Amino acid sequence: MADVIVLANADERDLRQLAEYRAVGGYTQLERVRSLEPAAIIDELNTANLRGRGGAFFPSGRKMQFIPPKEQIPKPHYVCVNADESEPGTFKDREIMNRVPHRLIEGSLIAAHAIDSQHVFIYIRGEYLDAFETLRTALDDARGAGLFNGVTVVLHRGAGAYICGEESGLLESLEGKRGQARSRPPFPAASGLYASPTLINNVETIATIPKILELGGAEYAKIGAPPDSTGTRLFCLSGNVVKGGNYELPMGITIREVIYDLGGGIPDGRALKAVIPGGSSMPILTADQIDVPLEHDALRALDTFLGAAAVIVVDDRACMVQLGLRVAQFYMHESCGKCTPCREGTRWMVQLLEAIEAGDATHSQLDLLLDVCDRILGKCLCPLGDAAAMPVASYVVKFRDEFRAHVDQGGCPFGGESSLEGLFAPVDQHTHHPVAEVPA
Amino acid sequence: MSAPELVTVTIDERSVQVPKGTGIVETAAAAGIEIPVFCYEPRLGAAVGACRMCLVEVEGMPPKPQAGCTLFAQDGMVVKTARTSEMARVAQNATLEFILVNHPLDCPVCDKGGECPLQDLTFRYGPGNTRMTFDKRTFEKPIPISPAISIDRERCILCYRCTRFSESVSEDNQLVAVNRGAQTMIATFEDEPYTGAFTGNVTELCPVGALLPTQPRFEIRPWEFQAVPSVCGLCPVGCNIDVDQREGKIKRILSRNHPEVDEGWLCDKGRFGFSHLYAEDRITDPLRRVRSRGLEEISWEDALDDAERLLREANGRIAVALSGSETTEDAYALAKLVRKGLGAHTAMLPEEIGGGLDAFRAPLSAIRDAELIVVLGEDPVVERAPIVDLWLRKARRAGAEIVEIGPAGDVQIAPGTTARACRKLKSGELGDRLRASERAILIWSGGGAGGGSHLAALATDLGFADKPGCGAFFLPETANGRGVAEAWAAASDDEGPEPEPLGLLIVSGDEAAANPNVRALAEQAERVLAITMFHSLAVGWADLVLPGTSYLEREGTYVNVEGRIQRLRRTAIPPAPDELAWIAQLASRFEVELSPSPSLVFAELSERVFGGVTYEDLGEEARLPDRVPLEAAPAESADEPVPAKAPGGTLQLLRYRPLFSGAAVERVPELQFQRPAPEIELSVKDAKRLGVRRGEPVSVRSNGTSVQLRAAINKRLKAGVARIADDHARDLHPTVEVSK
Repeated sequence: MADVIVLANADERDLRQLAEYRAVGGYTQLERVRSLEPAAIIDELNTANLRGRGGAFFPSGRKMQFIPPKEQIPKPHYVCVNADESEPGTFKDREIMNRVPHRLIEGSLIAAHAIDSQHVFIYIRGEYLDAFETLRTALDDARGAGLFNGVTVVLHRGAGAYICGEESGLLESLEGKRGQARSRPPFPAASGLYASPTLINNVETIATIPKILELGGAEYAKIGAPPDSTGTRLFCLSGNVVKGGNYELPMGITIREVIYDLGGGIPDGRALKAVIPGGSSMPILTADQIDVPLEHDALRALDTFLGAAAVIVVDDRACMVQLGLRVAQFYMHESCGKCTPCREGTRWMVQLLEAIEAGDATHSQLDLLLDVCDRILGKCLCPLGDAAAMPVASYVVKFRDEFRAHVDQGGCPFGGESSLEGLFAPVDQHTHHPVAEVPA
Repeated sequence: MSAPELVTVTIDERSVQVPKGTGIVETAAAAGIEIPVFCYEPRLGAAVGACRMCLVEVEGMPPKPQAGCTLFAQDGMVVKTARTSEMARVAQNATLEFILVNHPLDCPVCDKGGECPLQDLTFRYGPGNTRMTFDKRTFEKPIPISPAISIDRERCILCYRCTRFSESVSEDNQLVAVNRGAQTMIATFEDEPYTGAFTGNVTELCPVGALLPTQPRFEIRPWEFQAVPSVCGLCPVGCNIDVDQREGKIKRILSRNHPEVDEGWLCDKGRFGFSHLYAEDRITDPLRRVRSRGLEEISWEDALDDAERLLREANGRIAVALSGSETTEDAYALAKLVRKGLGAHTAMLPEEIGGGLDAFRAPLSAIRDAELIVVLGEDPVVERAPIVDLWLRKARRAGAEIVEIGPAGDVQIAPGTTARACRKLKSGELGDRLRASERAILIWSGGGAGGGSHLAALATDLGFADKPGCGAFFLPETANGRGVAEAWAAASDDEGPEPEPLGLLIVSGDEAAANPNVRALAEQAERVLAITMFHSLAVGWADLVLPGTSYLEREGTYVNVEGRIQRLRRTAIPPAPDELAWIAQLASRFEVELSPSPSLVFAELSERVFGGVTYEDLGEEARLPDRVPLEAAPAESADEPVPAKAPGGTLQLLRYRPLFSGAAVERVPELQFQRPAPEIELSVKDAKRLGVRRGEPVSVRSNGTSVQLRAAINKRLKAGVARIADDHARDLHPTVEVSK
């Protein structure tokens, strides 16, 4: 596979070993750019048109340019790596940390150099014990090899809150406070961690940087679907598909190719019903829309997003009301409780979906559900409310007949036959008890 | 300072000019347009944008509603509120609908009803009906978070004003949000009672009926209340208050924001202390001591006859012990009666404040604006003048440097050496910085007489008189000690000999009645006339008792820590005539001309000491009188004798009078939990030497007296010093032995 960037050489070698990573050119970019002006790095990223892989698709080079120089804000500058991967359907950052931890570390140190920072924080999802251990070992090895050059890197475990994957919630949590979103402005670039300039990026974004510098931004920009969707993504293929897993592919590949050519299609000869293109918070696509290329502009045209590139395949056994309920329950459970529409609206959504599923709802309550979603959308402090409202509203709009049938038949038309097997886990399975030993 | 740059903002098609950086909520208000808010409260720090009530449409920003409270005025900004923007109207309506889906709507029985922002904003911006048909979220309720405050979590709209107050105003961090999402609720950390000097403010900050005082539960019908603007009389700050009364009885006290004095905060003593008016042992009629039968009630006619007889029989051998809680007018009346009418010039004044500080007068809010603050003294500021503690915290948050010099300070000094430390500030590095600063403040908080004169000498030396941003504050022990002292001095220029033997001791007020030195003097007096509110302070020593009234029951003025003259109003009908009424009657029997009207007494007094300012000039939001330039260098009092160093193995006792103590606090059930724990504060070094850990019981002894207390470790306390609240130090001598 020519266009493997983030996971390059990981199939052939055990890149968790520092020596193996160095054998494939690891850390040479770090050593090279340390003698360069930070602006040169940022130029390269802008040329590559690298966009944030956490879901917001913001140009990464510009984000670095927003960090004011030390003369302007004479405080420590921070790099935060968002490794709190929690969106249902995503598991790409885990694979990156498990298989190419040094690429993430190298990217972090390059980013630190690019913004004149001496401090890197990696905030890792608490449940990711394996990735935590791997990363910790890799950090020890890199530190032992003298690669940090005065930069401190702190690996911080989260304690199981989706909101701490939202950048400002992450910063609050990192400061030891309750995980809740902050009002912006000020943005982290000006006032982030400890009210200091902070660059915060997703794991995949950071882990892409060394290879961009190796290839050159212009070369990288040829990969994928230029001009906006350059490069590769780790597509997290899951749900009712034969061969789920992470596939690093250039952006622009169609959903059909991913599901049928790579994923082996739908198991047991069942029919495709719908596909969620970017993770649980993204509006759904129907089976007849799967020829859309997985890139930003094409998906926007269908009123959805690539998000964190989690492709979730839904087959014909799934009741869309049940799926909506499961999604809404997740976001109700994870709402931080700070702003009104998300806190109250997600609970109301769950109540409405429960009533619809139980056959206790009226037709007007279907419209009410849409209105509740609309009243959350765009009115919250952070994107979590939108993350609940957008997908559920799309289920109602695109599968209106199925929702109506619940009302008309006084219950779920699937009876007990519906299965959400392989789709999102119920909320009670999200609760967890991290038992990892906490490093001193 | 140069004038701030003005910018033009358009709000709902109205153009308005405001200084750049003004909040959009304030900008809209300047244009006469309301942007409704729940969570926004500038006194709590930066806006958080949590409630989403203030959503507006802003041209040129992303096409979704923006939280107005988090935006600042910029030139050319075009903002549309719910009045002109359908987007904003729907968004505000949505916020209210969401808030109400789980709100119990129990307005008819809610104490907040009638003055509830949620009610008002729902009326103006909310949906007229509900679309919520499911079970509402319920919580156990109400739950006391302390004996003084209860929480109803179903009414709570999670605006986080209370937790933000606790985190970033009082900085006690006791109120927290627990759980997450729709199950979030406000609680105290570890469910401990919410304790501290300022807890009651959250009941006023709460925009719904979630946090309410326990005192008037189910009794608040705001539209039936009459709010009387007055001033708190329980400490020298003189916070401005609204006293809500119904049928002549006080139901609650709220803050009446004076931006230079209190910024709208009250301490719990001032807020909850009023119920001492209704204490069981309140004296309502004059009492005469009858041999073997104790005190018996007598008529006012008999009482005035008795008082006249006592005054005449003493034949001028009279001393007056004053409390510092009298109104300036009452004190003046009493002084005029005994000094002009009887030629008795001996008084025990609450404390010497020292002249000269008026040359460095500044509003308390100058503390907030200071860059360098030195706090001298032995008493924690919060125990003497609680609101000053909040001003100091605000200054520190804004980046001010605060240097505390005392037995428990940044610079540790031995008890009794504050005057010396004060003089040392005239030179040295810190002194140089004070001298160079345009925004420096000096505060003296307890520790020896004459503090005011030492402070004035220092401020003179530092050149503060010519710097309007620099000021000096002496925190007195009593609420109107200063006004009382001025009144006493103003009544006569004559002086007289100390009465020997003492014929009559007049004890004016509860603080004097509780003062051990006054009690000791009474032992030598042939007769005692006491003016007090409570039986227990009258029994056993007074020959004649005249009922006292409270600061909440009198008209008159108090002079606060800044030198600001503020008006007290009669907010409740006292059970007996007030002091001025009967002092005036008594005065006429001695041919002393005295009006029973406070305003006329003030006018007479003002001519002499307040430069002729009139009662009307004072108004409801009193302004600070101008500085009075010093004519000569202030005379500095002699230093207090420095207590002998405690001999080896013993500790020097440092006593302080706690905020939550005194006759009023003792009579308020809701404040008992706030009184200081029976603790002795030890330095780290002494605790280690004694082998004592935090919370362990220790025995504290001196000269045959022994007290059992719990050990507390104070990391800032000087080694060799032990600090105990007066309530628990009782009869201990200045040198104590501590053992396990």
